[in-house]
Amino acid sequence: MAPTPLSAQVPVTVLTGYLGAGKTTLLNRILSEQHGKKYAVIVNEFGELGVDNDLVVNADEEVFEMNNGCICCTVRGDLIRIIEGLMKRKDKFDGILVETTGLADPGPVAQTFFTDDDVKARTKLDAIVTVVDAKHFLGQLEQGSEAEEQVAFADVILLNKTDLVSPDELAKVEGKIAAINPYARIHKTEKSQIDLAVILDKGAFDLKRILEFEPDFLTHGHDHDHEEEVKSQSITSDRPVDPERFQKWMGALLQLRGGDIFRSKGILAIDGAPRRYVYQGVHMMMDSDWGSPWKEGEKRSSKLVFIGRNLDGDNLKRGFEDCLKQ
Amino acid sequence: MKIDLANPAWRQTLPPARSIAADAPVAACAFNRDGTTVAFALGDGSVRRLPADITAAAPDAPPPVHGGVVLALVADPVGDGFVSGGDDGRLLRIGADGTATELFNQKGKWIEHLAAHRTTGAIAASVGKTAIVVTKAGEVREFGPHQSTVADLDFSKDGSRIACAHYGGVTVWSLGHITQGQAAPPPRRFAWRGSHVALRWSTDGKFIATGTQENDIHVWRMAQATDMRMQGYPAKVKSLSWTADARFLYTSSQPVFTAWPFSGKGPEGKPPLQFGEEGAGLLSVVAAHPTAEFVAGGYDSGELQLGDIKAKRSVVLKMADGSAITCLAWSPDGFGLAVGNERGDLLVVDLHR
Repeated sequence: MAPTPLSAQVPVTVLTGYLGAGKTTLLNRILSEQHGKKYAVIVNEFGELGVDNDLVVNADEEVFEMNNGCICCTVRGDLIRIIEGLMKRKDKFDGILVETTGLADPGPVAQTFFTDDDVKARTKLDAIVTVVDAKHFLGQLEQGSEAEEQVAFADVILLNKTDLVSPDELAKVEGKIAAINPYARIHKTEKSQIDLAVILDKGAFDLKRILEFEPDFLTHGHDHDHEEEVKSQSITSDRPVDPERFQKWMGALLQLRGGDIFRSKGILAIDGAPRRYVYQGVHMMMDSDWGSPWKEGEKRSSKLVFIGRNLDGDNLKRGFEDCLKQ
Repeated sequence: MKIDLANPAWRQTLPPARSIAADAPVAACAFNRDGTTVAFALGDGSVRRLPADITAAAPDAPPPVHGGVVLALVADPVGDGFVSGGDDGRLLRIGADGTATELFNQKGKWIEHLAAHRTTGAIAASVGKTAIVVTKAGEVREFGPHQSTVADLDFSKDGSRIACAHYGGVTVWSLGHITQGQAAPPPRRFAWRGSHVALRWSTDGKFIATGTQENDIHVWRMAQATDMRMQGYPAKVKSLSWTADARFLYTSSQPVFTAWPFSGKGPEGKPPLQFGEEGAGLLSVVAAHPTAEFVAGGYDSGELQLGDIKAKRSVVLKMADGSAITCLAWSPDGFGLAVGNERGDLLVVDLHR
């Protein structure tokens, strides 16, 4: 018997990007092109989308604080409701795309997938895709924190409108993106032209697939431009991790600094454990699990990554040092 | 009434039922006003009507009446049919012969929640952040907008007010001006932080209960505007059901029937009454019997139980089958029970025999 579609988790792609970056163009293409797949699209700027499709749902971004004492624990109430409604359809779809308004913080959207049990049971957050306007990105950075945060949250970046800038300008924008978030995959596009396989079904939040991002962990270990307010910090160590001390440190860190830490992920070599320990978080929310086993004779090392605002790299490194076996 | 859960013989014979596979998730079900027809709101846009008499021939599946999903369904308070709301923004009256008449239409909005009041003949519907009331005469009045999308609504016992659940609490609107031509009095607000996702007004009109995003239950006492909170649920409580005598409030999201006592001084400081067989999974829907001390409970595993609060026991009417029960409805006389699930199985249980 084939598994029922009801029990399968539908992948959800969050699409962010500053106003005019090319999100609507991308959504129009996803809805109108023949790719043999069916997507439900949750949009905020209704009417802008030229496609009349009953799988396009208009949403008011309703950001709700959870009444549980956790200050940065916010969810998108409209998303919980709409996902529940979409699951009542007879016709199933291959994925859901959630477009956020140009000025939205992607935090509450991502946190909804960590917090709400019904949403977690039916869907899984696949990746945060950020569309960046190559021509206006540097200017947008001056105007507020939104453009910077959207890049910081991203798993995949569509560097769009590359035809409107010179190679020098483009290199400058790429450098800036890498300084904020060197772990996102950048795809250069014109008019949001992209093979959808590149942005959909990435499994960026899948703990089982964190290992696939390992090459990035290694290659991006360079020093960053320290002028950035939002940047990433990676920490590595070959000494085994004391799980209790790590839990305590990470718990306190997220409690205290969770508002400023947008994304975090890591692979840990726990003292005496035969398998990797993997985790991944958005602000204060975190998912963790045991990953694949270490191979015989394999060098066991731990790698942590934080992307956030005002990260104190030395402090983070010292904190992690204290979690290691002497 | 022959239902006797204390009788072992009854426990061994499952009641006769009609079962139909509709192949589309069921969002809601209801019996019509006189109890002769049962209807199911389906994920293919159709409202499937079946005779309540399980021996009568079932008509063929009807064509869709809504553009997408039928999200809500209630018995028509004035006619012999039903009223349905859909994600196409339409509120429809489905006549006894199946013909659909549009009562309201707002494209781009979902009509997710409905309530009907038998004596006044009014229908309330959520339309995004606004609630509308369609009077017996067909006039549409708007209430709101509220600070967020209306997550549930219900009429007061006498039909003079509606309560809307939303982020930050509950708003109660008086409908008196509709009939008397007066200016609308300001709404009463009952505040509690967080998002309220389900609402039921007690059958005696004295309490309003909500389920919250934080897996709690919140109850306001109307007369004193005092409130109480019940905690300890492992999941959101999306189904609430008051007994006909308003002595108990049944709540979903527990493995056994859970009823908060509201007679006497109320439930403060008391544990809820819990009884019956521990089911597979958690209760996803509860429905108190319209006249007697029974309760029907559907589980997220597909199990179906019938409980008796007096005998403090329950029987399993249907085993778990992996498809969560999404809706339950009793016939007005309490001898028929309609059940729908995520997979699209339509079940009508006959407790006469």
